[in-house]
Amino acid sequence: MSATMARAPVERLKKTVPVPYTKYLPDFLARNVGHWADRKFHGAGIVEHISDTGDHVFTVKIGGPSNIRFSTETLRKFAKIADAFGSHALRFTRSGSIEIFTESLAAAQKVQREAEAMGFFVGGWGHTLWSIQSCTSYLTCTTAVVDAPSLVQVLYNHLAPYFTGKIPLPAKLRINVGGCPTSCGGLVSDIVLTGHYGAAPDFDQDRVRMCLPMRAEVLGKVTPEVQMVCPVNAIKSFPKPDGSVGVEIIAKKCIGCGRCKDVCDHVVWDPAKIGVSVLIGGKSSNTGVGPTLARVLVPWIPAQAPDYRETVAVVRKIIDVWRADAESGERIADWVNRVGMKRVFEQLKVPLGRWNRPGELNTGFGVRQFLPR
Amino acid sequence: MASSAQGTSVGDPLLDKGREYLNRLEKGPWPSYVTELKKGGYPIDAYAKGLGQGFSPWYGGSARIPAVFVGFIARRTKDGKYTELHFRVYHPSGQIYRTDDLRKLLDIADQYGLGSVEAVGQTGDMIVPMQADKANAAVDALRAIGTDLGGTGDTYRDTAVCVGPALCEYALFDSLAIRDFYFQYPDIHSKLSSQLFPFKIKLKVSACPMDCSRATHRSDFGFVGFWEGAPAIDQKGFRERVEKKEVDPEKLAKQCPGKAIRWDAATKTLSIDGTKCQKSSNCIRHAFPAIKAGPNRKIAFTIGGNAKGRWGPKMAKPVAVLDDARTVAPFIVKVIDYWSDRSPHKDRLGDLLVQEGYDKIVAKFKDSLPVETSGHVPGAPRIVTSSVLSDAERKTYADWSQAIAHEYEG
Repeated sequence: MSATMARAPVERLKKTVPVPYTKYLPDFLARNVGHWADRKFHGAGIVEHISDTGDHVFTVKIGGPSNIRFSTETLRKFAKIADAFGSHALRFTRSGSIEIFTESLAAAQKVQREAEAMGFFVGGWGHTLWSIQSCTSYLTCTTAVVDAPSLVQVLYNHLAPYFTGKIPLPAKLRINVGGCPTSCGGLVSDIVLTGHYGAAPDFDQDRVRMCLPMRAEVLGKVTPEVQMVCPVNAIKSFPKPDGSVGVEIIAKKCIGCGRCKDVCDHVVWDPAKIGVSVLIGGKSSNTGVGPTLARVLVPWIPAQAPDYRETVAVVRKIIDVWRADAESGERIADWVNRVGMKRVFEQLKVPLGRWNRPGELNTGFGVRQFLPR
Repeated sequence: MASSAQGTSVGDPLLDKGREYLNRLEKGPWPSYVTELKKGGYPIDAYAKGLGQGFSPWYGGSARIPAVFVGFIARRTKDGKYTELHFRVYHPSGQIYRTDDLRKLLDIADQYGLGSVEAVGQTGDMIVPMQADKANAAVDALRAIGTDLGGTGDTYRDTAVCVGPALCEYALFDSLAIRDFYFQYPDIHSKLSSQLFPFKIKLKVSACPMDCSRATHRSDFGFVGFWEGAPAIDQKGFRERVEKKEVDPEKLAKQCPGKAIRWDAATKTLSIDGTKCQKSSNCIRHAFPAIKAGPNRKIAFTIGGNAKGRWGPKMAKPVAVLDDARTVAPFIVKVIDYWSDRSPHKDRLGDLLVQEGYDKIVAKFKDSLPVETSGHVPGAPRIVTSSVLSDAERKTYADWSQAIAHEYEG
């Protein structure tokens, strides 16, 4: 029991938020807030920020493991490197890299060598693979269909030369892998892989009663939540002869979005049919065509641990076709927008079906919504 | 270090298979998350079993921490063998740490936790697996170092911001200060501790149009910095960059998505038409600081973006152009209250905007805004990331992907 347990419960409810941010900044950043005037890149993994106060900060970007899982032991090693060669400070990026701050290019290069000696890669700026994002999937998540962390590990193993800049890309590349149709990282990555059931899921009839009202007479007054959340009315509830509530999924209407699984653990599916959909052309930045959501290229391909051979091959193929066809500076969305989705489908020889028609990317979002038309 | 039982694998072929998979996942060139997890006490066999069987091992579990209702998630395995409890922990804005401060956090992850973290989860918090019997004390330990459990469930989540003026030349306003402000704004602060909303609430802030925080897609309330009119040009500085061949002015003109740039080779003068400028920042990125954002700095305020919601992933819709992101806090609180009164469980604000009409809802609360509403909504079809396929359809796509796999593997 700690001393603060004496706090009244209502006091304990209140969150302690880490503010103001200036309190947490190391001095060399605190005195330069708002003063950054220029930047220079030194390779794909070191950037120099130049302040109008005369300060220079050299930042080294180190790619994190899949799902950004670090042991405290490894993080302590990075902290030690930041102390030995750097400015006693580091930053985690939202995409899963560690950035260590140093005072000179020579110091930054020492940090790079130390990180590489630990088996890590330095890179991820400019025309490179910036990151592959992974949700937690089988590590903690109840709704996961495919395991994103293992798939992302395998992708990183194959795509590391794109991160370091050893093999050049036309522009920045971000990949996001979500283990279920929610696609947690969103659709604003250049390539998005989304795990899903491949077929309509079903209810575990023995256990689903835990997600339903006890007695059938409430039907009509109450819609079971697992039915209410369905966006396409593909879930039907009905009274069973024993007076309890029955529920079923109408496979013909189902789109496999997994919202029923969000509110009820007892949705089941056939692991032999799971796979990932492959979407391309998402981005959040207003560069080029501006922010746009990725569109479905292929609705389903197999995603089988631990090698994920088809998934990896398809991602590599997309990158190769983009590399061969895009102009310098064109992210996948810019390239798709210029040549047309139809041509991309043709180059990849993707079979067309009712779930993947080559539509155009929708643009004009973000700040462009406020500009004169 | 206390941890969940590692269990024996006698008579469990799926666990054996999963362990074999994990060993293989440790052998690639990229640093392995499996190796990192194995160094700590995370219940790795539960994960191995999941991989071996081909579906997640976890069900929702339960944990109770006195007077703390938000910020932790408990799991139990379907076979009843393992439990897992993790905290979401607020980072300081920008996720920047002095090494001494980071060590204090790592000490907590070791002393009360399982010795590993997910450095930044999708919600923006650090995910720290904890020992269940020390969870209560861990809350106090986190608060003692000035942070706390972050957002889980149907609550106001963490506020995601770009690194902003702390380390970025392009920052047009102080995105980090906006996070601090909204965290402390009383009617928002009170929402951090309860899960009484239809679904999650997210607010994201990007200090320039490159939108590093992904506010345009992934937030119910989004702020993105931009400028009105044309970027500012330092003609002398730009000429020098051109003479040194660091910048190709013809290429800048060609790449400009608004076709707003003209280069007069005779007078060596660059001109940008502010009415055509799309704020793509392409010229700024290539010629900075000879070209920078124009002086009239503004903030685009949008609502209703989300990855996860009833009607699928969406881009945010425009509300108004602001001078200060703080001035719309009353509007945000009113919209949250309205949505909370109306939407069923698991419907995001963006779903309500689709159902009731976004313009009607914005009009209803426009008196709470400091300026007139503005902006237009481009059309966008609904996007479904999943699909329901027949065996024949799956075979077609499987054959296609296998042909590509052969191509790469010879």
